[in-house]
Amino acid sequence: MALIKPLSENYDEYRRDESRAQGNAETISFPTSEDEVRAILRELHAVRTPVTVQGARTGLAAGAVPTGGHVMNLSRMNAYLGLRRSSDGRFFLRVQPGVVLSELRKHLRARALPARDWDSESLAAAQELAQAPEQIFPTDPTETSACLGGMAACNASGARSYAYGPMRPHVSGLRVALACGDLVALRRGELKAHGRTLELTTESGRRIALDLPTYVMPQTKNASGYFVEDDMDAIDLFIGSDGTLGVITELELELMPAPAATWGVSCFFTTEAAAVAFTQAARPALGLATAFEYFDAAALDILRTQRENSTAFSALPAIDPEAACCIFVELSGTSEDELLDELYRLGELLDETGGSEKATWVARTDVDREAQRFFRHAVPESVNMLIDERRRTDPTITKLGSDMSVPDDKLADVMALYRASLSEAGLESAAWGHIGNNHLHVNVLPRNARDYARGKELFESWAVRVTAMGGAVSAEHGVGKLKRSFLAVMYGENHVREMARVKLALDPYGQLGRGNLFDPAYLEGGA
Amino acid sequence: MHIVVCIKAVPGSTEVKMDPETHTIVRDGREAVINPFDASAFELALELADARRAADEDCSVTVVSMGIPATERILRDACARGATDALLLSDRAFAGADTLATCHALACGIRALPAADLILCGKMAVDGDTAQIGPELAGAFDLPCVTDVSELVSAGNGAVVVRCGSDEGPVVVEAPMPCVLTVTKEAAQLRMPSIAGVRAAERAPVAVRGAEDVGADPARIGLSGSPTQVVRCFVPDRSGAVELFDGTAAQQAEALAGIMEGVRS
Repeated sequence: MALIKPLSENYDEYRRDESRAQGNAETISFPTSEDEVRAILRELHAVRTPVTVQGARTGLAAGAVPTGGHVMNLSRMNAYLGLRRSSDGRFFLRVQPGVVLSELRKHLRARALPARDWDSESLAAAQELAQAPEQIFPTDPTETSACLGGMAACNASGARSYAYGPMRPHVSGLRVALACGDLVALRRGELKAHGRTLELTTESGRRIALDLPTYVMPQTKNASGYFVEDDMDAIDLFIGSDGTLGVITELELELMPAPAATWGVSCFFTTEAAAVAFTQAARPALGLATAFEYFDAAALDILRTQRENSTAFSALPAIDPEAACCIFVELSGTSEDELLDELYRLGELLDETGGSEKATWVARTDVDREAQRFFRHAVPESVNMLIDERRRTDPTITKLGSDMSVPDDKLADVMALYRASLSEAGLESAAWGHIGNNHLHVNVLPRNARDYARGKELFESWAVRVTAMGGAVSAEHGVGKLKRSFLAVMYGENHVREMARVKLALDPYGQLGRGNLFDPAYLEGGA
Repeated sequence: MHIVVCIKAVPGSTEVKMDPETHTIVRDGREAVINPFDASAFELALELADARRAADEDCSVTVVSMGIPATERILRDACARGATDALLLSDRAFAGADTLATCHALACGIRALPAADLILCGKMAVDGDTAQIGPELAGAFDLPCVTDVSELVSAGNGAVVVRCGSDEGPVVVEAPMPCVLTVTKEAAQLRMPSIAGVRAAERAPVAVRGAEDVGADPARIGLSGSPTQVVRCFVPDRSGAVELFDGTAAQQAEALAGIMEGVRS
């Protein structure tokens, strides 16, 4: 088949994703339509070839890294398919999975979507969109070159998930091609499980009965394993399934009006304890907060060094030498007056919890917001550069970043766990991330292979402790291949087997996303 | 030390509306931002003030702008970032001013303030691109002027030492104070306000003065006081073409030289 090509040297980059892990595959395809996806799947199903689905390859858990077989890259499925407006005024946009988030945002800001080949209903809705208040898609992973299909596959989150939740509730429809090439069309609210039993009907009329896993999901931000709950919506099983249950060929996204005003406030503290106390006090008190993002002392030091030594980072705002950590709070509201009241409330909370109104940066203009965005994004970028530098002397090491979350009342406990165990292990680290969701990315910065091994051991031990706190081993990156051992820790062997049974009911030869979520050994023998 | 910083509110967007009669930019205050070059000059002033205060010296920074009443928002924001005082020159009589008329208004406003040791301006404004206000102010006050300043090396003992651009490249020059400096965009990044600064700025007095208040000569302000006549406004043609040359290197060089000759003539 012409769509399937040998994965030659020219396609080497498709063996990797942003996790820096490297895999192998024999063939690759770049379908542009649902029909092409299904045709490729039918051909590969006949010979039981493993298929790794890729989007923009920005994932951090190696979910898009192939382990042999075929790579199906969906980056060329990037069309905007249509728009509808519900009777209550909400807009719903249909896109192919390869649409990139930054492009979507650009079109929404301009209130003009690429409407080629749209039907009359969609064109009418597009005209209404042009006249309506600006709309946004609220899911905000740091990496805006991510594509919508990949974001749904890992149930992406990001900073604003504090206010808007992860990707899941904003996806109102999915079309999913199964491994055999058959298709499931799902719209939120139309098909629900009975307890833990779900029956899907494919486009060809085939009925597939699924016994859903029996575990209870943690009440935290969570992207670990299949989403299940009693009487769940069928669509939610596929969101966050890490490319293991089917290939997303189309998404319908629910848009929401953009806030009229958004301000950013960077709050600097002299101790981590004060930052934690502030978070705990501010969460219930600040109703207009849409994000709480943390940067620890090591992260600030990395930025100070970059600002001094690299022209690329010289535009970073100068950080007070007294500052030991920082929390960025985003406030969104209906007017600047409303935000001003909230800003003063925030200031009072700072004074009460060991911070200071003076040790803050308030961004109320585009220029200042851009400076804050640069500051926030410079941290992971700088850490990646640091690791790349160290890999030159020892290619076996790579970045080790945690992605665990805990319930609100365990924030101080988990911070204490991180600090004590990192110090005991003598490891260099930097931590940042979504403190509002008790979800930090603690990055071990290995200096050598020994550090790398110790870091991995540390993460395994954290998985146990975080699970005991009622937390999740992956809060937003997905489990992919890198965190599958954590999944067994979090749910236990039996529940992982239950997940594998769901997969085999939909993908009887275990072709899709092999190695994601669980060891392929769980799939041996097939359905 | 008293430092005066001239600030202009410019459109925050590249999409601006032009008045078809006067050919001047329609300024309604919406989405207006501080001119980026002025922001850089303002930060240099704040850094200098920080240094002087750290040395237990008094130092004040006054921001001055000529603009519509909505410009007060920009000046109050400047107070939140550390300006000590703010003066807004706002009067219908100022409307439609070119740089010379603007300079007269600014000079009258600055004369009404305590004597300035330093007057800082952005090198130019991103909307007008004239780069004339700084040198014109220096002329109005008969002060030395250093343009294109990228770094304030030192200030004290009656002089400033700055790094600036020149026809020969970057140079370091010393100028006696008082003097006028015009500053590049890259010289400094304007600090963000703190919450404490935002609170203080709400109560900060932003003085608003009209033409009469500052003793401006009616014949030298506004549209009527502006010798500049804008005949036409248009979007410049930026069309380009690509031509590929064949032949030997010498033939290609000759063809290229022919095109360059044509451009020159």
